[in-house]
Amino acid sequence: MKAFPVKIIPLLLVLAAWQAASSSGALPQSVLPSFSDVATSLVAMLRSGEIAQHTAASFARAGAGFLAAVAVGVTLGLVMARIDAVQRAVEPILLLIYPIPKPAIIPLFMVWLGIGDFSKIAVIALACMLPIVTATFNGARSVDPMLVWSAQARGTSQRRLLWRVVLPAALPQIAAGVRTAIAIAIIVLVSAEFISSEAGLGYLIFSYGGAGADDAMLAVVIYLAALGFLLDRCYLAGLRRLMSWHAFAH
Amino acid sequence: MPLLIRILPIALVLTLWELVARAGVVNPNVFPPVSEIVLRWFAVFADGRIYPPLWSTIWRAVAGLAAAIAVGVPLGLLMGRTRWAEWFFEPLFSFGFPLPKIALIPLYVHWFGIFSLSKVMLIFTDCLFPMVLFSYHGARGLSPMYLWSAQSRGTGRVRMLWRVVLPLSLASIYDGVQVAVVVAVLVAVVTEMVSGGGGLGEMMIRSYRYGDVRTAFATLVTISLVGYALFKLAQWLRGTLLHWHVAEA
Repeated sequence: MKAFPVKIIPLLLVLAAWQAASSSGALPQSVLPSFSDVATSLVAMLRSGEIAQHTAASFARAGAGFLAAVAVGVTLGLVMARIDAVQRAVEPILLLIYPIPKPAIIPLFMVWLGIGDFSKIAVIALACMLPIVTATFNGARSVDPMLVWSAQARGTSQRRLLWRVVLPAALPQIAAGVRTAIAIAIIVLVSAEFISSEAGLGYLIFSYGGAGADDAMLAVVIYLAALGFLLDRCYLAGLRRLMSWHAFAH
Repeated sequence: MPLLIRILPIALVLTLWELVARAGVVNPNVFPPVSEIVLRWFAVFADGRIYPPLWSTIWRAVAGLAAAIAVGVPLGLLMGRTRWAEWFFEPLFSFGFPLPKIALIPLYVHWFGIFSLSKVMLIFTDCLFPMVLFSYHGARGLSPMYLWSAQSRGTGRVRMLWRVVLPLSLASIYDGVQVAVVVAVLVAVVTEMVSGGGGLGEMMIRSYRYGDVRTAFATLVTISLVGYALFKLAQWLRGTLLHWHVAEA
């Protein structure tokens, strides 16, 4: 985080070059609106509450799918790691789903679950679940057997062992899987909202793009990028605080 | 025997699927039996209607990926070996890597039209990030011994990048290719679903609009196979081309 101010200079240089090219007329408005126009329309959309309203719609979808993926993914990964029969039953099916580009499932889910929110939430959940299951499974498998043995020696039940010993010990790897899932959630969300929706940031980008309002469209693109970046940063910062007790943090 | 055990769960799920679909509780046009999907998959190949979209998707993905390799590898290597290039480009590519480039589809359609060019350009853009970053990390982590021994023989800067840094970074570059090839197929299909212009993505959306779930499934299977085949091809190329490499040994 300390290196952040220095690292932002190249980004500022690119934005300055964009603005300079637009102001000097080298970059026509019809090709790319100037950065100041984009910033102006971003401020206008933030003021009018338009952005907030569509952010809420997107957040609800991505959040619901993501939370479902965390709940199912972590549980499944832990159980797979501790019970061989479950692993043998589930792993081949996961391997089969793995190579499917998840946004391509959206049309099928729309047939089954309708074109509303539910199909989008389901595809986001499916896409986010895979990295979480894999990370949890690998994390739980590599837990120091000493920890497991010492808990078992005290007569800890299998269930308690999972939640109180294996889960905490596997947290760093689970956290990495969840971080991947956040990035995936945003990509699948935008794809789903491009394909069909009446609200959300993807819808907003697509409808402004279709209307030829490039400055407003780019404003939402930049806002979405900043939002994704901030989410990732907040996640990492929160993680560092929550996991300060863990061996990996030292 | 192990193979049988591995396949058993999949066979069970598919059998259950077939039975549920045949039980007459669900509309077979919404939830068709697996056997009908398999038959449709063979049918779209037999009547040849899958070939034009299949080739469109493959060539777009490969063209975008190839362009990303051609631009991304030299740029990444340069970043790994030159301080100003690292200073300027590394933050931009690290910042941009996790961002959803898919959101640029409307802008790219505006710039490059609705046909193949906008799709190939977006695939190129999306694949550029992993190619640059993996090449950069490959070139940065080199043992200085190789560079010193080449320098002591008076190797010039360009020749050094091309003949020393590139071959030594190849293992990392191939890691990048394996990430990028998955991205390429994904972006190809999404752009085709969103802005049409042929390809498997458009076939998927069109089947959905006509309510033809069997063809939609057959297309999804084909899309997954394309992704898997390209990934395996990249893996095979890596093994074949890199058997001499220090990092592989």
